Order: sequence, then structure tokens, then C-alpha cells
Amino acid sequence: MSLPARVATLVVAFLAVVAGVVFVAFEFIGAQPAVENYTSYASGGQVNVTLMTTPETTVTNKPDWVSYFIKNPSTGSFDHTTYFAVPANTKVNVTILGYDGCTPLRNPVWGRVAGTVGGVENVSYFNGTTSSPAQPVQTFDSWANCSVQHTFAIPGLGINVPVASPTTVAENNALCGTAPCVAGTADQAKAPHSVVTFSFMTPKTPGTYRWQCFVPCGGGYVDGNGGPMGTPGYMMGQMEVQA
Amino acid sequence: MAAESPTATGSETGRRRDGFWLLVLWIVLSVIGCLLVALVLGPHLPPGDQSSSAASQQTDFTVLGTIAAPVVIGVLLYFGWALIFWRQQPGDETDAAPIHGNTRITTTWIVGTAAIVLALAAYGTVELISPAGAGAGEGPQPIWKPAGTTTSSLTSWTPGSGNILQVQVIGQQWAWTYRYPQFGGFETTQLMLPVGQPVQFNVTSLDVIHSFWAYTLGVKADANPGLNNVAYTTPEHTGEFQVRCSELCGIWHGSMYDTGDVVSVAAFLKWTQTSKVQLAALTKILPPYALTYDPTNIPAGKINTALGLTSAGGGYYNPADPEQP
Repeated sequence: MSLPARVATLVVAFLAVVAGVVFVAFEFIGAQPAVENYTSYASGGQVNVTLMTTPETTVTNKPDWVSYFIKNPSTGSFDHTTYFAVPANTKVNVTILGYDGCTPLRNPVWGRVAGTVGGVENVSYFNGTTSSPAQPVQTFDSWANCSVQHTFAIPGLGINVPVASPTTVAENNALCGTAPCVAGTADQAKAPHSVVTFSFMTPKTPGTYRWQCFVPCGGGYVDGNGGPMGTPGYMMGQMEVQA
Repeated sequence: MAAESPTATGSETGRRRDGFWLLVLWIVLSVIGCLLVALVLGPHLPPGDQSSSAASQQTDFTVLGTIAAPVVIGVLLYFGWALIFWRQQPGDETDAAPIHGNTRITTTWIVGTAAIVLALAAYGTVELISPAGAGAGEGPQPIWKPAGTTTSSLTSWTPGSGNILQVQVIGQQWAWTYRYPQFGGFETTQLMLPVGQPVQFNVTSLDVIHSFWAYTLGVKADANPGLNNVAYTTPEHTGEFQVRCSELCGIWHGSMYDTGDVVSVAAFLKWTQTSKVQLAALTKILPPYALTYDPTNIPAGKINTALGLTSAGGGYYNPADPEQP
């Protein structure tokens, strides 16, 4: 092979490697879920944020992964993302519609509500036909009872909220089969789920806080912490606190 | 040094003059450098002096820095001297003086460096043993323990009794929790320590390998699942300290940090009593205190069992399962 040909081959190979690195960086590492921005919807020092957990993520190419969804404050639809923005020094009133079934926590310590206003969460259950009245709960025993499906935890703020699950075998075998579970179909309308509400204060200064689930819900992965547990947009995300 | 150096003139007189001034300058600069490292830089070297192990490490860094100062100064001085005084003169195309062996210099160099290395090995060994492992994880059966301490009671603790304070550190993706067996076994996300009291950290993990690094306490111990890793220290000053995970443990490894607090003994006792009451309901559902935990083997309740949930391990898909990660 002539010298120019060898040089050209070397240059092409080098550029191919660079292009591959750039593609991986932007496509996989740099790709971020969309951010649901609630900052302009705050009123009177408060803002309402609604999330949903689903047993499957049929809107993605990972249909068997569990996932969180966040309600778009503009359209009212549930989008497949785990990134949201809220204003600083604001009371955030969170509602989580928990459509998944129960799974024991690896560490029962995450069964205790922490960092919320009053140190409790309020839970009501829909069993497929009726809803129970909301009751304040502080501690869930996920080993003794079918009681927790996921958690919403922001370790940097000391916040930990177990998401209550449907409690019976029958309910856990009749979970919502398509995502998001918006009562658009008959089975979705009947899907057992919990409604968890709580409030917390955002810090006075802007910042980005990661949040995650502490239930080992990444079935099929080491310690249940891979797959959706380690992928932004599924069981972990970020809360941007904006000025 | 100058006897080996190629100079422009190569004269014996010139080489002796260079050697003399290099030696004088090296001694003067070394004395200044050693004093600066030992007295000025040393007290500011990491990890500080918030605990006995941190102070011990700071002393070690100061000693090593002081010993290294004359070596660094010697190399830089010789390099600078050569650049300034032994430059090739304009129009001088002659070769430098040939380099030849010098048994006396070679012997001095080998003996000197060997003595330094062996002395540092001896010093390092003493400094590992005397501060009870120097804050490093010693495994489940530590060899070096703090002098004057015992583990006479794992269910109660009295300040100054010699019964060492037990603090269990539990790593999990991606947070640290801390358990205090001598105060009813409550578990919390807060790490509080009393000043002036020896502490035994029992470090373990519930999932992958983490590493408990209380940086300014000079404590660092790997957190392995199914294994207890013991490290000791004695906090000597009140104030906050940072805890980080220093073992790549997953996507949020970089966010796995905490802020601990060294407080007075009275404040610590008050905090333990308050936490014990506040966390009583949680403590009841925790597994009995143990040095390690196995989340894949839990006493699951009736409904969980009916659903096939007898483990909090995540589990693997059956190879025959069409759904594979």
C-alpha cells in the first residue's frame, strides 16, 4: 500500500473512532429526559406536582421495565420522564398515583416517611371499585405486609416517601397493563392503585437534586438495582430547584 | 555532583567551584524548605486533625513532605544550575566531557536511598500500628485496636468507660445509613459522633461494593456485601465532616455523600435518646442487629409469600423467560 493510501486509511480510521465516541457521548451519555417545568405554575408559595408509577412502560422499547411518569403541567398528560423543575423556597404538594404492585425493600429503613411536612404521607387506596379515605401513615413494614411498591427519595434533602401499593393478592394480579395508567381504557379505569400525597419545602437557593427509588425493582438485574433503577427517565431522576 | 558534570571549560577548578556553591545552596534551601514544609505547610495538609487517625495521617504527610523537600530542591537546583551556568556557548561545537563511572558516588547514592526507603518502611509500619490501623478498614477481625478499649457491651455505652462506641455503616445504592446497636439498634441517615470517645465503625453493604470515606476523620473502609469491615478513630474536635463513597458503585456514585457531625458527649447522648424514641416504630421492623445482612433471605409476610416475594434481592430472570434484560 502506498504512503498516501496508508495515511488516508489512518485518518479515516481516526475520524471513525472520534465519530463513534461523539455519537456514544451524545446519544447515550448526554441524552437526558425532558424536564417538566412547574416553576410558572406556583401560586401563593406552593406548587402541585403529580407523578405516577406504572408496572410496565409500554410507551418505550423497554415495556417490561417499571417506571415513573410525570404529569405535564401544561397539557395534563403524563409524560415518560423523571426530571422536573420547581421554584426555590416553595412548598411542593406532591401526588403520586401508585399503579405498581408490592416488592419488599432491601433495607426496611426506607419504609419510614422522612423529610415531609409533618413527617407523614397521606394514603388512600382504590381497589378496582371503591376508594378508601386518605389516612396519614409514617412507617410501612414492607417485609411483613404487601405495602410498598416504590419510594420517592431525595437523599440530598433528607426526603424519603414510600409509595404504598395495593395490598391484596387479587389486586396485585390485576395491575394496569399499559402505560401511562390514565383510565383511558376499561382495564385502566379498574386498575387498583394507591394515591399518596405529601408536601415538602424546596431549599431557598437553586440547585439540582437527584431522586431515586430504594425498592429493588430492577427485576433481572444484580440486586434489583440495574435496568430501570439505573436509567434516567425510569426509576430515578432529578429535581431542579430554580430561583 | 559537579565532578560528573560536563562544563563548558571542563576545568577541575571550575567543577570544584560549582560543586561547592551547589552544596552550599542546597543545604541553605533545604533547611528553609524543610522548615516551611514542617511548620507552615504541615498544619494545613489534608486530612486535617479532626480525629486521631486524621491527625496521624497529617503528621505522616508532614514527615514525608519534609524528607522529600531536600530531594526535590536538589533536583530542581541542579537542573536550574545547568540551565543557567552550563549552557552551550555561541560558536562552541565541541563535545562535552565524557561521562565515566564513579564508585564512591554510586555507593553513596545506593546506600543513601536504601536507608531512606527502609527508614520510611519502618516509620510507615509504626504509624499503621500505633494509631490502631490509622483509620483504615482492617477486615472483620482487626489486628490493631485502640489502646484501653474493650467491646464489653454491644447493647449499652457509657462515655469514658473503655467500652468502645459501635457505629454500623451500611452502604446501599445510593445512600449511607448508620445503626447504633448500643442505643436500641436504631438506624438513621444521620451520622453523629461524640468528641473524645473512641469509635468502632462496622462497615458493610446491602448490595454492591461501596467504600466509606469520612475524609476529614481520616477513616476509609470498603463496604462489602456479606462482610464486616472494622475501622477505628477518635474524634478530637467538634464540627461537621464529609462522608463520601470512594468505590465506583453505579450511576449515582458521585452523589453518594453525607455530612456527619462530631458533637459534645452530652449532645450526642441527647441525640441518641431523641432518635431512639422518634425511630422506635421503625426499629421494631428492622432485622435484629447483625454485622452483616442478607436481603435475599427475608422473613416475608403472608401476602408477600403468596405473591412469591420472599426476597428483596431483585433476582434474575429465568433463562427460559422470553423477557431478558
